[in-house]
Amino acid sequence: MRVFTASFRFQCQLLRRSPGDLSVLVTAPFFSLLFLSMADQAHRSALTPYAVVAPVFMSVWSMSLFVAGDLISRERGTGTLEGLVATPASLSVMVIGRITAAVTVSMLAFAETWLIAWLCFGIVVRVPHPLMLMATLATSALSMAGTASVLAAVFVLVRSARIFQNTLSYPVYLLSGVLVPISALPEWLRPLSKPIFLYWGAALLRDSLSPSDVSSPVGRLLAVTALGAIGFLAGRLLMHQVLRRVRVLGTLGRT
Amino acid sequence: MTNAVETRGLRRTYALDRRAKTGRSEVVALHQLDLEVAEGSVHGLLGPNGAGKTTLCKILATVLLPTEGEVRVFGRDVRTQTRKVRRDIGIVFGGERGLYTRLTARQNLHYWCALYGLRRPAVRARTEQLLERVGLVDRADEKVEGFSRGMKQRLHLARGLAGDPRLLLLDEPTTGMDPVSARDFRSMVDELRREGKTILLTTHDMDEAETVCDVVTLIDGGRVLAAGDPRSIGALVSRHERVEFDFVGPVAETVRDLLDLPGVVGCTSVSPGRHRVETADDDATKAALSLLVDRGATALTTSRPRLEEVYLKLIGDRGMAVR
Ligand SMILES: Nc1ncnc2c1ncn2[C@@H]1O[C@H](COP(=O)(O)OP(=O)(O)OP(=O)(O)O)[C@@H](O)[C@H]1O
Ligand SMILES: [Mg+2]
Repeated sequence: MRVFTASFRFQCQLLRRSPGDLSVLVTAPFFSLLFLSMADQAHRSALTPYAVVAPVFMSVWSMSLFVAGDLISRERGTGTLEGLVATPASLSVMVIGRITAAVTVSMLAFAETWLIAWLCFGIVVRVPHPLMLMATLATSALSMAGTASVLAAVFVLVRSARIFQNTLSYPVYLLSGVLVPISALPEWLRPLSKPIFLYWGAALLRDSLSPSDVSSPVGRLLAVTALGAIGFLAGRLLMHQVLRRVRVLGTLGRT
Repeated sequence: MTNAVETRGLRRTYALDRRAKTGRSEVVALHQLDLEVAEGSVHGLLGPNGAGKTTLCKILATVLLPTEGEVRVFGRDVRTQTRKVRRDIGIVFGGERGLYTRLTARQNLHYWCALYGLRRPAVRARTEQLLERVGLVDRADEKVEGFSRGMKQRLHLARGLAGDPRLLLLDEPTTGMDPVSARDFRSMVDELRREGKTILLTTHDMDEAETVCDVVTLIDGGRVLAAGDPRSIGALVSRHERVEFDFVGPVAETVRDLLDLPGVVGCTSVSPGRHRVETADDDATKAALSLLVDRGATALTTSRPRLEEVYLKLIGDRGMAVR
């Protein structure tokens, strides 16, 4: 836990020194503008929750993919990766602490989207279930970090893992119903949505913005958490294997 | 007493890229290496480029696995007791890399200390203590990117000490330092020795090995060539002595006679009128001295070679060629 919090704090310091890494916070308002005007154009207020939630989840998820991939190659670049591995701390815990920090900061996209909706469209997005909202954001953040840590492990082994970063962004947004309702997906694709934690997180976030009661909140939060935990465990296991492998190969410090 | 480091038949190979058509499929970096480092000593590892020094440090630091053989750090196997080994070691790789240059010295140290599982107050206390020790207190809140080489190197050392290690691995710690920083650095090593830490230091620099090390191991091609205290290594390897003398007038005949003596291995001119005879044992030295006295040579001196010369003798045949 100490390693987690220290890594969290450390990543915040790094982000403060290189604000360029927070580019998702620059793109989020544009996505909000785009999605909200599409919903507005179609006179379909049912789509407004999607238009609000989508930019948030897109920003946060792409941030975690970016950090997970970049973190390892940057540590290689600074020549610190071997030093980190030589400490008794677990590399996956470090990685998860640091991704969680980046994810938490990129949650600011929510505030941005809220402001855009209000300033440009006169829509005041109300939060009838604030506790649910907080719980959803918190569990989603941890699940993002857990899942993205798998990617970090891949980066330790393969230096050119960029391709994973791309395939894991837009297809996942579509599949998990972050952008459009999954009812818009062909029947046979729908079962693929359920195992993605983003599907549960995005739906919960939309529900916490709608006045009607949130159905089975605990079960659904558990689904987000459980899927995140699976990601975390998979990341840990993979990292363990990968570190063994690179210690045999002697490629850990290679840039 | 358990040794801080013990290796038996340590072998490490690297697979070579098959596309590079060298005809070999692997490089042997360490070859049946046996090494013992006594607890509390400063042990120098001396060798030319490619000797295997960094490879050995990485294996001891657990970031590289041995291919064959046994490696123990304070009695613990680096393969199976990795985490415990990691608690006992600190590693400093030479060069500029290895620091977060956009952060301050203090932020760097905070993070490294935290990775050893310290609580926050302990992290802060340890950081201040380290900054003090390496003399960076006044610059602690400046970004590392503005630091001079010497300052970075000191921060490196502090970073290596973050976990309060029993064994400190220093891989060419003074590379790129100016002489003043290098001297400061050596006095810090002395201080650490007094605290009972074990230090394994790799270097190309003979002076460094001679001034700071209790024991020196010469390695090349992944094998140990010789080991001992810096002075006895000199005696062991060359058993050589050298006699210097001044000679007025033609010296050629005297040189020829000297070289005819058994055990005399060489004679060179060191400056106009002054010459040096290299001998391989005591008897040869005595014979050379009496011959020189007979011939009227003056200002006779005898001396032992320095480590540097021993080193050059051992590897000198192929100069400093890199394999
Ligand atoms: N990752 C690697 N892959 C392949 N070969 C390697 C690798 N690392 C080192 N080698 C080879 O292993 C041998 C020993 O290298 P090592 O870096 O341990 O030497 P060194 O004594 O530290 O040299 P230097 O004084 O130049 O730092 C060299 O022949 C080197 O080319
Ligand atoms: Mg080296």
